Amino acid sequence: MTTNQSIDPSAAALLPVAKKQGISTVWDRHKAMQPQCGFGQLGVCCRICWKGPCRVDPFGDGPQVGICGANADTIVARNVIRMIAAGAASHSEHGRHIALALLGVAKGELPAYQIRDEQKLRSVAAKLGINSEGKEIAAIAEEIALASLEDFRNQDHDKPCNWIASALTAKRLERLAGLHVLPHNIDAVITQIMARTHVGCDSDPVNLILGGIKGALADFDGMCLATELSDAVFGTPSPVVTAANLGVIKEGAVNIAVHGHNPLLSEIVCDVALLMDDEARKAGAKDGINIIGICCTGNEVMVRHGIPLATNYLSQELALITGAVDAMVVDVQCIMPSVSEIGACFHTEIITTMDDNKITGARHVRFREETAVENARQIVGFAIDAFKRRDPLRVNIPDFKQTAIVGFGTEAIMGALGAINAEDPLKPLIDNIANGNIRGIALFAGCNNTQVAQDSSFVTIAKKLAKNNVLLLATGCGAGSFAKHGLMSQEATDEYAGESLKAVLTAIGTAAGLNGPLPLVLHMGSCVDNSRAVEVAGAVANRLGVDLDQLPLVASAPEAMSEKAVAIGTWSVALGIPTHLGIMPQITGSAMVTELLTETAKELFGGYFMVELDPNQAADKLLTVIDERRKALGI
Amino acid sequence: MKKQQHENAIVFADPERCLGCHSCELSCAVAHSGCDLYSAAIKGLTLRPRNKVVAAGDASIPIQCRQCEDAPCALACPTGAILQQDSMVSIREKNCVGCKVCVMVCPFGAISVKPDADGDLEAEGRTNRGVARKCDLCARTGRDVPACIEACPTKAITLVNLDDLRQTLLEARAAELAHSYKYLKQRKVKP
Repeated sequence: MTTNQSIDPSAAALLPVAKKQGISTVWDRHKAMQPQCGFGQLGVCCRICWKGPCRVDPFGDGPQVGICGANADTIVARNVIRMIAAGAASHSEHGRHIALALLGVAKGELPAYQIRDEQKLRSVAAKLGINSEGKEIAAIAEEIALASLEDFRNQDHDKPCNWIASALTAKRLERLAGLHVLPHNIDAVITQIMARTHVGCDSDPVNLILGGIKGALADFDGMCLATELSDAVFGTPSPVVTAANLGVIKEGAVNIAVHGHNPLLSEIVCDVALLMDDEARKAGAKDGINIIGICCTGNEVMVRHGIPLATNYLSQELALITGAVDAMVVDVQCIMPSVSEIGACFHTEIITTMDDNKITGARHVRFREETAVENARQIVGFAIDAFKRRDPLRVNIPDFKQTAIVGFGTEAIMGALGAINAEDPLKPLIDNIANGNIRGIALFAGCNNTQVAQDSSFVTIAKKLAKNNVLLLATGCGAGSFAKHGLMSQEATDEYAGESLKAVLTAIGTAAGLNGPLPLVLHMGSCVDNSRAVEVAGAVANRLGVDLDQLPLVASAPEAMSEKAVAIGTWSVALGIPTHLGIMPQITGSAMVTELLTETAKELFGGYFMVELDPNQAADKLLTVIDERRKALGI
Repeated sequence: MKKQQHENAIVFADPERCLGCHSCELSCAVAHSGCDLYSAAIKGLTLRPRNKVVAAGDASIPIQCRQCEDAPCALACPTGAILQQDSMVSIREKNCVGCKVCVMVCPFGAISVKPDADGDLEAEGRTNRGVARKCDLCARTGRDVPACIEACPTKAITLVNLDDLRQTLLEARAAELAHSYKYLKQRKVKP
């Protein structure tokens, strides 16, 4: 039964336990929800006003327009760009939170935080055109924070956001400006989407989608600043060996799962846990405190500090079913409301921390940056208390974990390449792409989705691409999936990489001091860190004097689910990257919108969506696209 | 051996559970189209369901063929294309000329004379634009259960086997009467 639910062996081990104990999981709820509404699947259900709900009959003699007169094209376009707005809002709210924290650090108001990577701060300053010479770190930090916050308050429509202007190639900026889709202010662009989709406003599907693309690019802007500022405050990722899957939970330790997306809290929990280790030992935990990650909060602390990753999105509930998680501390995004009920079936404390992200039945500890250490102490204290209540008879930790070498941000990749050619780090990468040792580059991003056996599409596509010498990058729950399945190890490179890719990864890995190849898939961070891949691609493109839509670079979100993924996928297309979706997007009720995003986008942006539900065929299609691009470049 | 007579099974919808979402119509159209939801949408096919959700008074309910035992459509059909067959009222499409007499005599408005999907017939320029169509209990779609029943999110639709239903009613009433009889006996009441 579990085979069509997840290929994660932990799921096969724990789902029967859940069933026996009468605990329902995401897969039970998925089953109970079948069949799902066809109108919703096609995106032709409109709930934008109270004359509705309206749904256009996609097939027949039924209504072809809603009560206001909106047709399927308008309804589908409005629905999908509202999803983009929500995705952009999520990432950008995360970014704003970090930018405000950086401002607080600069002003000396947040003693729990400091600038851990001054070099990164200086390079960010240079990128944003801020002169940092002779200035104190605090002063530079303040200027950067204000320049970042400017992206939320600029009212000049003709001046693009600072971060996007610093992050893209000149050619790309020009192209986007020509289509009037460069965002000038993240908040304003999100507001515009909500305003233009109100009843009786924009009903031109092309205009709506272009508005959505602007929102997606605002999402990109928010992601860039969230990632880069987090690096300055918490440290820039560098390669670190760690482990992934539920076997990282320790029976003899107080296990604290950090779950969600934002590093502001989880970083301090990690710091405080070190200080409170003795307290945990006194409470009977012979192994002290064990912090484990789930979802992207997990990825954030994994790539920066090597904190092991327990699991990714779809199996978050299974972590609780081990009976050995003493506290699950959550911040924002992708936290299933069901965790509080499952936590209540055990001794587990589910602790929400953000005032605008509460869960009924969970304990709420109001987290403030000003009182971060105190809040984290309280949280760890709850975990230690809960540990004392743990029922050892109900502990069920699956014996599965895989070694993962993670932490390949832009700097780490450049650093590794620099070990081969210190003067021109990009040269080894470009040479190997040009000579075909590296056939192309694929970025895996996105979520898990109950419509696909968990992790299966990620693993299938990645193995096939690797065999065909495609360099693989990953973020978010895609990265989590690869880490859990052992594809972020040197052994995986030996086993699955094609010969020429293996030689390149071995040469770079050995030169970089890893005593062997780079891992098969490079973990670039959480889903908000997708901007890192664009940075690397932009550097390669600039070096070659081409634009992003000419590179043999593809993206794939084979198990996408969230509105954030809709936004990421859309900016990926707008940046010129052919982007595969392994899940049917809720747009096919409009032939026009479908064509716009899968065909017309190619002419406008160079990037486009490719929908292919079968992972094997998806890999073939991605290879074909890579080859087309190579051919166009004459390599 | 004598043939046993059974009533035809019917698709029954509970108006108290029906939310009027039209999912049953969509699934009926897709079930009879020979392709899946997404392909039909992408190809831009016009599909027509064989049921129809109707709102009347405070309630809504899907209406489809009742599989009448003394079916007016079968009696009226001038070409004899409609007949009792395979425990339902069945239409022999090759005999149907699309005259619409059945549409006029059906008290439920459950029959229409249009193609299931737009395409071949019109493309060939033939005058025949369709034959009579109505709920066939998904008999030719290879399904165990009619598509509308599977699709209904509130489980408002069921396939009623009249033998089973009657048996359930009979047993329930018999149990109640038997219970009452005990008291009659205690009090020595004799009719």
